Amino acid sequence: MSTDRKIRVLVAKPGLDGHDRGARVIAYGLRDAGFEVIYTGLRQSPEQIAREAIQEDVDAVGLSILSGAHMALTGRVLELLREQGAEDIPVLVGGLIPEEDQQALRKMGVAGVFTAGTPIGEVAEFIASHVVVA
Amino acid sequence: MERTRKEIERAEASWKEEVVEPRVARFKIPASPTRFYTPASQRDFDFLEKVGFPGQYPFTAGNHAFEAWRAYAEAGARLGVRPDYGASSAGRYGGYGTAEDYRDYLRAMQQRGSRGGPNVAFDLVTQCGFDSDSPNALGEVGRVGVAIDTYRDFRVIYEAFTGERDIDQVASNFTINAPCAIILAMLAALAEERGIPLAKLRGTPQNDILKEFIARGTYIYPPRESMRLFRDTLVFCRRHMPRMNVNSIGGYHIREAGATREQDLAFSLANGIAYLKEGVEAGLEIDDFASKFTFNAFGGSMQVYHEIAFQRAARRMWARIVKERFGATDPHAMMVRQPIGAHVGCTSTTLQRPLNNIARSVIGGMACGMSGGSMPAAYPPYDEPLGLGHSQESIQLQLDATRIMIYEAGISDVADPWAGSYFMESLTDEIESAAAEEVDRIESMGGAVGAIENGYMPRAVAQSAYERQKRVEQMEDFVVGVNCFTGENELDLSLNRGVEKLYDPEHLRSAEERQLAKLAAVKRERSQGDVSRSLRALEQSAKDPEASVMPALIDCVKSEATLQEMCDVMRGVFGEAEPTKL
Amino acid sequence: MVIASWQDLVERTLAGEPRALARLVTLVENRAPGWREAMKTLYPRTGRARILGITGSPGAGKSSLTNRLAAGFVERGHRVGVIAVDPSSPFSGGALLGDRLRMKDVATAEGVFIRSMATRGSLGGLCQGARDVGRVLDAAGYDLVLIETVGVGQDEIDVVRAADLVMMICVPGQGDGIQAIKAGVMEIADVFVVNKCDRDGADQVEADIRGMLALAGDEPGDVETVFQTDSLSGRGVPDLLDALAARIERACDPERGLRRARDEVLGLVEGEIAQRVRTWIEDGERLGSCVERIRSRRSDPYSAAESLIADFDRVGADPHE
Repeated sequence: MSTDRKIRVLVAKPGLDGHDRGARVIAYGLRDAGFEVIYTGLRQSPEQIAREAIQEDVDAVGLSILSGAHMALTGRVLELLREQGAEDIPVLVGGLIPEEDQQALRKMGVAGVFTAGTPIGEVAEFIASHVVVA
Repeated sequence: MERTRKEIERAEASWKEEVVEPRVARFKIPASPTRFYTPASQRDFDFLEKVGFPGQYPFTAGNHAFEAWRAYAEAGARLGVRPDYGASSAGRYGGYGTAEDYRDYLRAMQQRGSRGGPNVAFDLVTQCGFDSDSPNALGEVGRVGVAIDTYRDFRVIYEAFTGERDIDQVASNFTINAPCAIILAMLAALAEERGIPLAKLRGTPQNDILKEFIARGTYIYPPRESMRLFRDTLVFCRRHMPRMNVNSIGGYHIREAGATREQDLAFSLANGIAYLKEGVEAGLEIDDFASKFTFNAFGGSMQVYHEIAFQRAARRMWARIVKERFGATDPHAMMVRQPIGAHVGCTSTTLQRPLNNIARSVIGGMACGMSGGSMPAAYPPYDEPLGLGHSQESIQLQLDATRIMIYEAGISDVADPWAGSYFMESLTDEIESAAAEEVDRIESMGGAVGAIENGYMPRAVAQSAYERQKRVEQMEDFVVGVNCFTGENELDLSLNRGVEKLYDPEHLRSAEERQLAKLAAVKRERSQGDVSRSLRALEQSAKDPEASVMPALIDCVKSEATLQEMCDVMRGVFGEAEPTKL
Repeated sequence: MVIASWQDLVERTLAGEPRALARLVTLVENRAPGWREAMKTLYPRTGRARILGITGSPGAGKSSLTNRLAAGFVERGHRVGVIAVDPSSPFSGGALLGDRLRMKDVATAEGVFIRSMATRGSLGGLCQGARDVGRVLDAAGYDLVLIETVGVGQDEIDVVRAADLVMMICVPGQGDGIQAIKAGVMEIADVFVVNKCDRDGADQVEADIRGMLALAGDEPGDVETVFQTDSLSGRGVPDLLDALAARIERACDPERGLRRARDEVLGLVEGEIAQRVRTWIEDGERLGSCVERIRSRRSDPYSAAESLIADFDRVGADPHE
């Protein structure tokens, strides 16, 4: 018997920011969209995130950051994924990201930036369209 | 003579049949989109019991006959006084970078006429009990607030408060929760150093750890152990800093995290009850310490009527709890003392077409003006969701909107204008009864601590947040410019102007580097022996549940132990909190 | 990105590449093409790992305790695999896998591999998936695999049957107490842990468990079977680790091994045949034509089933018929 392939997404909050409303809502929403969401919650170090992404073989990594530390933290996550041969895993960033930083993040290699008001369906579709079918 | 209830009910029934139904049929809609309330809408409305008078129990109509700010409103207008805070209140909430950066900012504000004390935002590293050289600090040093690693840093802030503005002349606010005891210890050490009696100090530490588990996430120790630290700060404040407020209980954060109005109220009350119990169990007199409890603000929303009813219900419920459950007799112990009343909440503002947030904030101010309490502030400034800080322009617009409501619209000229309204009293009762049910449920779980340990409160909030998201996405709730009226014919008004910063962003970028250098210097220069000794003593007192950690913390602070060193000792004794599973 | 073949993934997994291991796990979990071949290739390399099944109702602290145990075993020189199971939503098919959240201590530990798995709805389907993933971890060099179950429904009882050792976690204050434990789990569990032992009632729960074990005729042997722990503070964990380590050292009961192999082969065969029958029935109008007659009561489900089975037998289960 073959099970349907499920899309797996890691949702994590790097750094010390404790406002997890957005991350939780996205986690519930993606679950209801049929995804398997590995939710690791608050205070994830970039090292933890990279490791989790690889062990769980996720199709996308979602970072939620509202503390303003998004440049440093995202940069480090991307670096670690690259070092561990997983730069093909798309990284999405959500939260409080000023316009100019959004562009900088994309230049760094972030696949998409999703700020407040983005419908969950849009995020789900984006992830689904970036999944490499194995 | 009043009509009987039966007469009104009969009249209402025939009105529905003769006037409403035909109209509903004519417009071909399932039901009437509006409601109408009559005297029959409420059962047993006892004015004196439910409302009473402003300034008297149960304070439904307001804490005071009139608010202090209202007494001087006209005079203030004639003198053009900017509400940039007298000495009796803390200044504008702020803080960033190193303590030097923040001190310089405070001095700049003082140049512009600010007379308030420091209203300190700490960076997340400090809030979570880490030092700037911790691996956890990556990207976070000095970002959402000022970096405080040692007493040396803390002292630097207060270089802006000397002479006539010394610490006994201004109020200090600290938005700090898990390591609150340490910050208070630093304040005590500073007062001692300056020869200022602790009894003269004024201010408010946030010190509301329970909401951290529910909504804000900057906790360190498990809930029970955290309450022990609260107890120690409470007793210390009452004994040594009697003019300090003890806490700032924040329903605001809970609502912003997605809670419903009723959950905001219930969870805040449950938390408040837990804190009150700590005081009682520590042997303090309820009238004495409850009068030093404050509320940060409850949350808000765009639903004007509901937020007015909410404030009334909140005041009444807290008063009842403190008086009837805890036996208080001093009215000041029963009041909801909060610096902000009703408002719309930051999560009600939109990134899309941000100028609309002005209209939104005015609605919040109107709700405040009509439900009593603080000045009807048009909060937040419209550029809140941009994440770039508030510009001078948005602050000016906020101030003017507030002034227009007060002086042109006269919104604060009547205390509790909705008192006795059939609608508003029903709504107030409804909110109260829903919240009371929640409070009972939480009490049955062992109170706020139990309802955190079993994950109930954090999960309930996450669930409500999700439900709101779904309602918005399915257009059951409308958000203008976000999920409706977004067509191509709408003007997508965006902001093109740069935002004048009150501080130098370059400076912020170098903060981490500078802070690390300072921290290294402290570690080099201090006496390691003194530090080790003081940390050992801290461990001893932490291990003894009857002891207070405050004296040991003050010694640690003076020996220049770092914040993380102190927190780590306590981590060793108390353990660390577990995150809540979804 | 190149799509790797199962051979490639197996090779790289055996060479110690973490990403290849993770992708191999996905291949096997999804029953993607090549999964059987991969399992056949890996099977000879398995047998070294001991499987510890961890069960207990939600809120018992399974994840926290798993975290502590994994950390403890790593300290004792083991390489530990953790499979954390959570239920799939029956409505959307998605799942919220949140057990890792509690496993901070071992999140970046060198010798630990944690994988979150969803039940994906099928009865018995999980058992196979978790067991196979456990084997992959075994072949990849993890000598201890902890499988943490959901703790409700039937699936996890199947899972614990696949484990060498089963640990059941209870907490004080969970309403009906031990009586609420499903029949069957008491028989299957080898070790009982009363977690959150700092709470009132812990001793009572321990006494209840010992009582039930005595009633079930278990002889109080030389090995302790009931423990108290507090996963938050770590209290009691070292003793539990010692006990588990001792049991792991001892050879596995051959009877149990035979029984498990038998169950597994039967399960695989049953699953495969059920799938074939299903595919055959759902193909074309076979089922469609029966159900309308059943609904209008011109026929009944029993006769319909009989007739379909007779057809299937005749046809010799050729899926192309």
